[in-house]
Amino acid sequence: MDTLEKLIQEHLNKDAQAKTRRHFIKNCAGGLGGLALSSIFMGCDPLGKSKTASARTFSERDLNPLATLAPPFSPKVKSVIYLHMAGAPSQLEMFDYKPVLHKFHGQDCPQSLLEGRKFAFIKGTPKLMGPQAEFAQEGESGNWVSNFLPHFKQVVDEVAFLKAVHTDQFNHGPAQLFMHTGSARLGRPSIGAWATYGLGSENQNLPGFVVLTSGGNTPDAGKSVWGSGFLPSVYQGVQCRSKGDPVLYIEDPDGISRDLKKSTIDAINKINKEEYAKYGDPEILARINQYEMAYRMQIAVPEVMNINDEPEHIKQMYGVEPGEESFANNCLLARKLVEEGVRFVQLFDWGWDTHGNIREGSIDMGLRNKCTQIDRPITALILDLKQRGLLEDTLIVWGGEFGRTPMQENRGNKEMEFKGRDHHGDAFTMWMAGGGIKKGASHGETDDIGFAGVEGRVSVHDVHATILHLLGFDHEQLTFDFQGRPFRLTDVEGEIIREILA
Amino acid sequence: MKNKLSTGIFVLAGIVVVGFLWNVLEPKDQVDFSTQIKPILNKNCISCHGGVKKNAGFSLLFEEEALGDTESGKPAIIPGDASGSELIRRLKETDPELRMPYEKAKLSDEEIDLLTRWIDQGAEWGEHWAYSLPERVDLPPMAEEAGFVADDVPNFVKTDLDHFVLARLEGEQLRPNPPAEKNVIARRVALDLTGLPPEKSLFEAYTTGQISYGSMVDSLLSKETYGEKWASWWLDMARYSDTKGYEKDQGRSIHQYRDWVIRALNQDMPYDQFTMEQLAGDLLPDPSMDQLIATAFHRNTMNNDEGGTDDEEYRVASVIDRVNTTFEVWQSTTIGCVQCHGHPYDPFRHEEYYKLMAFFNNTRDEDIPSESPVLKFYSPEQQLQVDKVNDWVAEHGNKKTAESYRNFLRYTQPVYNAHLLNDFKNGAYDDHASSVLWDDGSCVLENVSTQGASAMYMKYNSHFDGTTMTVRENNAEGEILARFTLNRSKGSKTAKIPFKKINRSTDLFITANNDGIQKEINAINIYWIGFIPDIPGQDKAGYSQISKAFVDALNTQTETVPVMAENPEHMKRTTQVFERGNWLVTTDTVEPKTPGTLNPWDANWPKDRLGLSKWLVSKKNPLTARTLVNRVWHQIFGQGLVSTVEDIGSQSEPPSHPALLDWLSLRLMNEHQWSIKALVREVVMSGTYRQGSETRPELYQKDPKNRLYARGPRIRLSAEQIRDQALAVSGLLSSKMYGPGVMPPQPDGVWQTVYSAAKWVESEGEDRYRRGVYTYMKRTSTYPSFLTFDAGSREVCSIRRTVTNTPLQALVTLNDPVYLEASYGLANAMNVSENPEENIALGYERATYSKITPLKLKALKELYENSLSEFESNEENTPFFHLQRTPSAKLAALAVVANAILNLDEFLTKA
Repeated sequence: MDTLEKLIQEHLNKDAQAKTRRHFIKNCAGGLGGLALSSIFMGCDPLGKSKTASARTFSERDLNPLATLAPPFSPKVKSVIYLHMAGAPSQLEMFDYKPVLHKFHGQDCPQSLLEGRKFAFIKGTPKLMGPQAEFAQEGESGNWVSNFLPHFKQVVDEVAFLKAVHTDQFNHGPAQLFMHTGSARLGRPSIGAWATYGLGSENQNLPGFVVLTSGGNTPDAGKSVWGSGFLPSVYQGVQCRSKGDPVLYIEDPDGISRDLKKSTIDAINKINKEEYAKYGDPEILARINQYEMAYRMQIAVPEVMNINDEPEHIKQMYGVEPGEESFANNCLLARKLVEEGVRFVQLFDWGWDTHGNIREGSIDMGLRNKCTQIDRPITALILDLKQRGLLEDTLIVWGGEFGRTPMQENRGNKEMEFKGRDHHGDAFTMWMAGGGIKKGASHGETDDIGFAGVEGRVSVHDVHATILHLLGFDHEQLTFDFQGRPFRLTDVEGEIIREILA
Repeated sequence: MKNKLSTGIFVLAGIVVVGFLWNVLEPKDQVDFSTQIKPILNKNCISCHGGVKKNAGFSLLFEEEALGDTESGKPAIIPGDASGSELIRRLKETDPELRMPYEKAKLSDEEIDLLTRWIDQGAEWGEHWAYSLPERVDLPPMAEEAGFVADDVPNFVKTDLDHFVLARLEGEQLRPNPPAEKNVIARRVALDLTGLPPEKSLFEAYTTGQISYGSMVDSLLSKETYGEKWASWWLDMARYSDTKGYEKDQGRSIHQYRDWVIRALNQDMPYDQFTMEQLAGDLLPDPSMDQLIATAFHRNTMNNDEGGTDDEEYRVASVIDRVNTTFEVWQSTTIGCVQCHGHPYDPFRHEEYYKLMAFFNNTRDEDIPSESPVLKFYSPEQQLQVDKVNDWVAEHGNKKTAESYRNFLRYTQPVYNAHLLNDFKNGAYDDHASSVLWDDGSCVLENVSTQGASAMYMKYNSHFDGTTMTVRENNAEGEILARFTLNRSKGSKTAKIPFKKINRSTDLFITANNDGIQKEINAINIYWIGFIPDIPGQDKAGYSQISKAFVDALNTQTETVPVMAENPEHMKRTTQVFERGNWLVTTDTVEPKTPGTLNPWDANWPKDRLGLSKWLVSKKNPLTARTLVNRVWHQIFGQGLVSTVEDIGSQSEPPSHPALLDWLSLRLMNEHQWSIKALVREVVMSGTYRQGSETRPELYQKDPKNRLYARGPRIRLSAEQIRDQALAVSGLLSSKMYGPGVMPPQPDGVWQTVYSAAKWVESEGEDRYRRGVYTYMKRTSTYPSFLTFDAGSREVCSIRRTVTNTPLQALVTLNDPVYLEASYGLANAMNVSENPEENIALGYERATYSKITPLKLKALKELYENSLSEFESNEENTPFFHLQRTPSAKLAALAVVANAILNLDEFLTKA
């Protein structure tokens, strides 16, 4: 058995880097403070007192698939917070100001724009609809922001806008999949899965890829927008919830104290060690490690998911509603999670599908409400990360799965009760902020009515290439072999959007 | 005698082996394209000179392209003249702008030398091993007299299969492990064959020597739990799910297909039949209900009900999925690449994809919410009425008409679905399921074959009394073909409407009028319109009852399952090549045809799905049997003989034991007549399988992944097995089979699908404890603990589950109420003695089928005592686990111990 240990260690030593020590110490220090589950070859032993001095190398990838890996290039950011407005927000009422569209309000949409085109619900000849919000130029950058977002102007100089993003999908499910996995069909890994596969996580007591949802529903495309596709399932997003267990099965059952759980895991691991002595299968060592991590996670997750202990001014800044599942809460949680070293935090806020068929789903009322719900929390998130010095290590991405038409929706060829816009993939706005991003930039421009990009058009693959670039990857090199060929997030496309890089 | 014979064979074979080695070592000998040249080309050249990119007009995928003229006007390879060949010149070039591979490392001298010799020898093109199958494979020679292996051989070799493994081990100077202990192999084989630990009686019969290993295996193979276990494997590939997928992810009634798979596996339906029924059961002569249910294999494609989606786009997506899945499941080939361009590395051409698609592109399903065609399951009383109609038509009409009625009664097709209605005035194709007309509304249904019938059938929902409907030929001025009044129907209904006989295809102009309702208010929803040749025997007594029975049957609500049904001649689709895979840009029209690289087509086969399935299970197909062998091997050993189980082709790993793969494949077809059980038996009877799974240091060093099989398999159990096993050892497992998916407890709030009222309604009684294969499978929100243990979400075909090892898995088996309940069940079963050690030892043995060791007993006893003292000191009657009652401190402490046992690596693993 000794020979075997030596063997495995030799194999693993090759990968052992200085960085191991960093997260290793973090695990111990940030974790339980001396949980005495360590064995002869496991656990926290930063001083090297145990008899096998290089024991820590067992926490590398073979034993822990989320062990930190350095990216191939120098990264601009360590973590990503991706804010997805599920249902697709209207760029025309938020950031893409089109005064000319005002002038044409109520007129028939030109046939040239409709010929050979398919829309999700628009039939026949719809009418153009002017912006339903007031716009002003804000900050030193002078970028346009609507009055639906009164707080956001405080941080407008922190972000870089992409005004002419386009997608070829105009139904929610496929478009969300495309936005998060680079393919409109199911089966590909999401961006967060790629990031954790490539980089592991900085904090071994928390999942590396956390998903938070608000708005009462998961996204239309379901959980596959944070799935791992053909990557090992350990890289899929872990949904953390504000109600019930923050992570499924994280809480001990009734009658089991922490001490008793510790005794349980102690007994399991003692027996597993004997099993390892008999079978020599390194998977057993990995399992021992996972049980120790699970125990630590049981403390770390509820701790990080608890926003009650945050100072009052921080709670007010975000506008949190403790106990509820809200976007504001999720923004505050996102900050706490990246602070703790979580690699990828994905927020989905549902309810942005403003067709005008119902009040909540209307441009003039529903959209305004949704904007109010996100305005303060997003502003707070940027300011809070900044004041903590975390913004430069974090990338924030904001967007939907597509944009909305400059035309008013006329579902079923009828005039509808409320003002609405149909799905539109030709041009929509996204923005990024944080490390490596050119502050106050605005890239891309749409035509006078905001129908299509006329300059600086960027694709979903370009957005992905840029995110991976900021994390320290060449998007063409981050691949996974499956079905006989290497797959990548950007398929065979993608150009880094250099115009918004600092 | 036997020894002498073997020795003789060995000497002979020795000469062959020496001869082979000589061939390899002799430098000037013939270079083999498939094993020596193709790998170099695939690794270094094919990404720029292959099926996708053909830089400089040069591609190395097909012989004629490789040897043909390039853009320069000259060929790059001149057979027999390496020094005159541009290919070699470029490889040796010193100018980095000209040297190949461009901007990559130079090929090694050995590689260039091989390529040079290959060209000088005539650049003979060879076929990749995967695309031809040898006619016979001989057993490798026995190695009894060869050195150190000899001692272990008598223990190791149990069947012919072992000779292949031993030959390789001998080559690598490795000795196999001794056989596993009886208790270990009994648990292993029971888990592999039935997914469950062995029943006590069988276990004891074998371990005490009352029955042989072979009898135990036969007993396990005959259990119905066998089909339940292996069904999970097949259902992953079939992408079986109880929901439709995509946005709303509504429920789908298709469990009849899952049950069909379990039954077929238990009956050991030969794989060729198993294949034909699933791909083309509807095209078999006079298909049975079961054969139609089998075709639901390809109705497991997703169905998109999202508002605003184009049914045709998603119908095409389903057809494409069927092509891709068929090739993944039967041919280990990722044909999907060829959808957009020639295959990057396997010899399949762009248009060949669409020729394959033409086999699948002619079914009636059109991505509508009802999922029609759906097969109806009438009650026995209803079936009597249905039979009367069928008998009448058979008696009075011809065979074709009889078939039309039989099919229409079974699955209500062919009909024209509502999305085909267009040119609306005061109406719209509205809610994705039906078209609506308002007062003074009209629409057109184009190019309709009325079958010369005197009746039109229509499924509709009429919301008011007194709506006049008129159907005219061609347009508003056309001849009236039908005029009728609809009253409020209180829900949807199917009606028979008198219709003027015409014998031609025509457009139907349909209007609705009702003065009594306001503008833009739905007068009527139309779901479909259909025509079927008239019921014969109109002049015979009893006709009117039959006519009524027919309409009644159409209106009968039953359980259903989606099935495949072919378009009739007048609705047949043509298939066109999509330019770069874009379904909106079509080019050449193609006919069904199989790829040229694979086995030839027999002219007697029909050019439809049935013919295609016959082609797949032809003994000449090089991939079908190998694929099945490789995957069955993978299920048992945790890895394939070809390690890329999804892919057997030019980019796959070479097989670890090529001759064994072929030998097993030929035996499967020729000796076992495609019996899956016989194949499984062949593998588990081998000495290779029956070895102990312990790793020795020198063995681990040499073969960490056990590719050489000097030890038995040691693999974590699957998601379903982990759950089933916990329920089994705790005495909770229900043996109830079949039926709709069940919903064991899962945390609140896990289901949050948009626009869906579907709820997870916790099952009651024994349905809470059914085997995992019966758990309700929702695509957008898979049962959480299964997802955590690497089960997929079944959206697309999945050939293997990647096994991971994560802390979230520990949380499931430690804290999920299912496992807590199982722990409590096990604790009750353990609680037989006043001596806690006896109880602990009993529980451990019950779960792991091993005697407890002193160290393990000590660890669990400590846990027991810690728990007991904590529970005893706790005066209050606190709730325990998720139980309604508070158990005694002793029982609670045993439950904590049981919980630990259910979390042991040895419990979660098949060793």
